[in-house]
Amino acid sequence: MSSKHVGRTGLRLFIVIIFLLPLLWLIAASLYPPGAPLPTSLRLLPPRLTLANYGRIFQLLPLGRYTVNSLMVIALAVPITLLISSWAGLGMARLPRAGQQRWIVFSLAILMVPGMALWSTRFLIYRQLGWYDTIWALIAPAWMGTSPFYILMFYRAFRRIPAGIYDAARLDGAGVLQTWWLIALPMARATAVAVTLLTFVLYWGDFISPLLYLRSGNRTTLPVALQTLQQLSRSDWGVMLAAAVWTMLIPIGLFLLLQPVFNRNKKRL
Amino acid sequence: MFERFSILRLSHHTRWRLLLLPYVLGVIILVIVPALFSFALAFFHYDALSPPVWAGRLNFVLAYTDELFALSIRNSLSLILIPVPLRVFGSFLLARLMQRNGRFLSWFRSAIYLPSVVPAAAFALAWLWILNPLYGPVNLLLTAIGLPAPAWLVDPVWAKPALVLMGLWPIGEGFIVSLAALYDIPPELEDAARIDGAGAVAIIGHILLPLTAPILLLLTFRDAIFTFQESFTHIYLMTQGGPYYATYTLPLFIYEQGFDLRAFGIAGAALWVMYALTGLIVTVLYIIAKQWNVGTTEETFVL
Repeated sequence: MSSKHVGRTGLRLFIVIIFLLPLLWLIAASLYPPGAPLPTSLRLLPPRLTLANYGRIFQLLPLGRYTVNSLMVIALAVPITLLISSWAGLGMARLPRAGQQRWIVFSLAILMVPGMALWSTRFLIYRQLGWYDTIWALIAPAWMGTSPFYILMFYRAFRRIPAGIYDAARLDGAGVLQTWWLIALPMARATAVAVTLLTFVLYWGDFISPLLYLRSGNRTTLPVALQTLQQLSRSDWGVMLAAAVWTMLIPIGLFLLLQPVFNRNKKRL
Repeated sequence: MFERFSILRLSHHTRWRLLLLPYVLGVIILVIVPALFSFALAFFHYDALSPPVWAGRLNFVLAYTDELFALSIRNSLSLILIPVPLRVFGSFLLARLMQRNGRFLSWFRSAIYLPSVVPAAAFALAWLWILNPLYGPVNLLLTAIGLPAPAWLVDPVWAKPALVLMGLWPIGEGFIVSLAALYDIPPELEDAARIDGAGAVAIIGHILLPLTAPILLLLTFRDAIFTFQESFTHIYLMTQGGPYYATYTLPLFIYEQGFDLRAFGIAGAALWVMYALTGLIVTVLYIIAKQWNVGTTEETFVL
């Protein structure tokens, strides 16, 4: 290896450390013994590591319950999003050229609508539909594929499949849904994985919907539980940070699990 | 299991089109109707309890004369105009640095993306700790190397820079998109420039930036709109708009008007103003794009 390569790897490593530092600080601080004086000099790890803070968050709040609520949101929102967005993406990719253009412009226009414009009127709509204070208010966007961005991602992936393959499927007597499930979706696996991860992260971290559309505390999800905990124990950093680590554990685990798929298929996302 | 669907007597093309139906219905019910409704509410008194009463332009006058409203717009603009270009350009430079082969490259890239999968609420709590004036690691570090340690989120002067700073970590999406854009540039272009004696900076400035400009513009766009939303969670959990309204932004104003005061009409009026501002930013970006003669082809449009 030339010195230039070593220098570049060193620079990369330095930047990577900077990117990971906040998470490392967070994890380290959550391992301090409860009640111990906070350090007033710079040291990453406490003299004695303990998971006691993690036990205490489950005593303070029904965190298990909130975790299950969050998982239920994911279990509904992610499959519905995948279904609707991949259907729409395929429908778009099979349109004539001019039609595709119109749908791209439509999707981009919808993408530009800021969420705040929808906060209060979605609240009114959910109340009419009887979705207010239920899990359906949290997963409602899944029924439109969550974001036009995902539809455009699927559209792009399906358009790369040569038209001949769709024609051949049709000659073999495959219907629209058969073509979608047996041919198109398997060929866009990398996109499906990407949309799954993005959707997961989005719904898992969604703080605004439960804040606005839930009233019953026992239906709420982890992000709002973090806020509750923050109000309950204002200066008890160990507890708050342990809960923050608990909340990010699952998305980070999922990301690390799916990471090889991304690196293999980066070009085809 | 799918056969019964094809019994429907529809032409093949129509059946493909049907796949778009749930998407369109969803968008109408969840975006178009609520958005139009919000705009209409700007002309009514509405508290979600009694029926709406026509208010003319009173809501606009009320919003206009509310000092907090003007302040929230100024704060929002500065929290978009400064961090967004930093984030987009930063993610581009990072993508460039992580573009070529090297050791552990795939792990390095994943590490850059990692902060972006952390939920905003957990991220906010983490940074509340990191920027804690007394015990936070950042200030301990600054003190250790002899630099002044600001009070960050509790200091009206430093609260905004603190939010900008923490916004530099979750840039995974811009990073991945920039990476893909860089891969789409034929490597021969870069090689030819290098033979002609172009340095690293010249290659970025004269080849890579102009060629990826459309995608960077689109990213800027998305980021500006996204920052609005994401910053709400951060601000709501970290500063509640304080200290002394230093981080009081438009989403916070809309939230308070709508959900605390039940003044949906004033929230609607604020949305009109916000849309006008967004429209302004979009127009400026579009003019820049036209000048550059980029961003108009379909391929660049869709990322």
